[in-house]
Amino acid sequence: MRVVLAEDLALLRDGLIRLLTAHDFDVVEAVDNGPSLLRALTTHRPDVAVVDVRLPPTFTDEGLRAAIEARAQIPGLPVLVLSQYVEQLYARELLSDRAGGVGYLLKDRVANVGQFVDGVRRVAAGGTAMDPEVVAALLARNAGNEPVQTLTPREREVLALMAEGRSNAAIAGRLVITEKAVSKHTNNIFSKLGLQASAEDNVRVLAVLAYLQE
Amino acid sequence: MMVRMRPILRTFWRDLSYHVLGLPATILAFTVVVAGLTLGVTASTVIVGIPLIGAVFAVFRWNARLERRRTAWALGTPVPEAYRPRHGNSLRRLRIVAGDPQSWKDLAWLAFAGSFGFVASVFAITAWATVLGTLVLPAWYWTLPNGGADFGLFRADTLGKAFLAADLALVAIPILFVLERWKTEGMVRLGRALLSPSREAALAARVQELAATRAGAVDAASAELQRIERDLHDGAQARLVALGMSLGLAEELVERDPAAAKELLAEAKLTSGHALAELRSVVRGIHPPVLADRGLDGAVQAFALGLPLPVLVEIQVPKRLPPPVESAAYFVVAETLTNVVKHAAATSATVRARHADRFLTIVIQDDGVGGADPARGTGLRGMQRRLAAFDGTLTVTSPQGGPTRVTMELPCELSSPKTSLSSETA
Repeated sequence: MRVVLAEDLALLRDGLIRLLTAHDFDVVEAVDNGPSLLRALTTHRPDVAVVDVRLPPTFTDEGLRAAIEARAQIPGLPVLVLSQYVEQLYARELLSDRAGGVGYLLKDRVANVGQFVDGVRRVAAGGTAMDPEVVAALLARNAGNEPVQTLTPREREVLALMAEGRSNAAIAGRLVITEKAVSKHTNNIFSKLGLQASAEDNVRVLAVLAYLQE
Repeated sequence: MMVRMRPILRTFWRDLSYHVLGLPATILAFTVVVAGLTLGVTASTVIVGIPLIGAVFAVFRWNARLERRRTAWALGTPVPEAYRPRHGNSLRRLRIVAGDPQSWKDLAWLAFAGSFGFVASVFAITAWATVLGTLVLPAWYWTLPNGGADFGLFRADTLGKAFLAADLALVAIPILFVLERWKTEGMVRLGRALLSPSREAALAARVQELAATRAGAVDAASAELQRIERDLHDGAQARLVALGMSLGLAEELVERDPAAAKELLAEAKLTSGHALAELRSVVRGIHPPVLADRGLDGAVQAFALGLPLPVLVEIQVPKRLPPPVESAAYFVVAETLTNVVKHAAATSATVRARHADRFLTIVIQDDGVGGADPARGTGLRGMQRRLAAFDGTLTVTSPQGGPTRVTMELPCELSSPKTSLSSETA
């Protein structure tokens, strides 16, 4: 799987290259600034890009902007954005084209190698990987929302994991329940929130995120 | 012709109304000065007179304030006021008031207004009334007791002579107008000179204000540093120490007891995560990264997204604000919105900001229950102090039953002052 990496701190860049290579990713180019990132993305058209939000030359949200710009040129180009902090505003911007293939994670998550690599693969496959902090903020925002209040605690757990972008199988593994039980929960969630149910994991995730962001 | 007449007419009305308004005002000033001086001189001979003299000065100031408003109205620009700050016991305060040159300048103006000002007003009104009466003399000269009016050179006792008098009045109009213009202008200027502080006093007042706001800013900054130090000390720093210990232990155990070492490593990973989370929250408190990335607009939008109620954000600032102003404005908006969530029981709120005429104005309004008391709680004082360092102000209106409206105004230049927005309103 071909990866373009953008990270300006050499220490982290080398660490990520090592980590990704060890998990059978092929890092075709690693850049350290926004303009080179945009060029690398449009020339290599990688299977997935792993991008730090803050990059030179402006040291603001250069990486995010480059990623969004690249996705405007190549619709659905899978991008996983890493950051020292997460903002709902940025998650919203990444998800706004509703095309999927988007990830937005705290850099801390890299420490959990297995889950991080799983996230990269999920994004590459057109799925979603939202940081639990973003999801927690989204749920907190919807705490006063009546349909969300009708959810059982278990359904809320499932909703949170789904919003992070996990498949039903992954949720089942995480909560130690059967996949059938998970799909029963998801059906309940969708009917309580008044959403169109779908058999496809990715579509379900995007629908849930769109609902929570409204 | 009409076009040129209009400003002249407007000036005429303004001069005339200055004097008409001057009638009660100057009578008041006369009364205040005479009564005040009499009382003051009498009171100064007895020991209990001190509070009385204080009261006399207070009345002088009150009257001077009224005169300041009358003069400002005639001038079309505000007349600033600055007295030396009073403090200490009543004797000290009285000494400060008596030693303030502005007190005596006030008195000088009141005495002038109460004497010459009154005469000037009476003259202006009678002169214009006479001109007007003479202008229409042909219509009423015959009602006069002696069958006409005496003009020295002739008696207007026939229709022809009455018209002659009216012609004379016509000639008198421009002369009287110019005369009145000079007189009014002179009086208004004298009023401004006496009632507004001298350059020295104005500067002294400004220095006083700057000293206070600087002290406030220094206090706020040092309190902020202490908070950051405490947060780091108790949070991330302590976690890093724990992390080092876990790693050290794991290093020792790795050969003897690999299972225990693995457990310690897992613990270390968890601790490093917590340390990062704490550092993030400290950084957010110092300067939110999104503010650095996106400026006030983006940062307020991002903050609003985290709130449980819909917030309409309309920020019309064409360029990035100077960073300290941006940061102060952001924290005040954030704190105000937090208060809305905590206390207002509101269902929605708006944040509107615009930059015009070198002022950043931000209005935050909710549809909540109101009754917010700015005097209570330290939050508002802290926000005011934060803004005062930039000569900014914060005002709160919050009637019982709502809505609450917080307005903040900050003087600031954008990186390029020539912007479409500010030139539109200029």
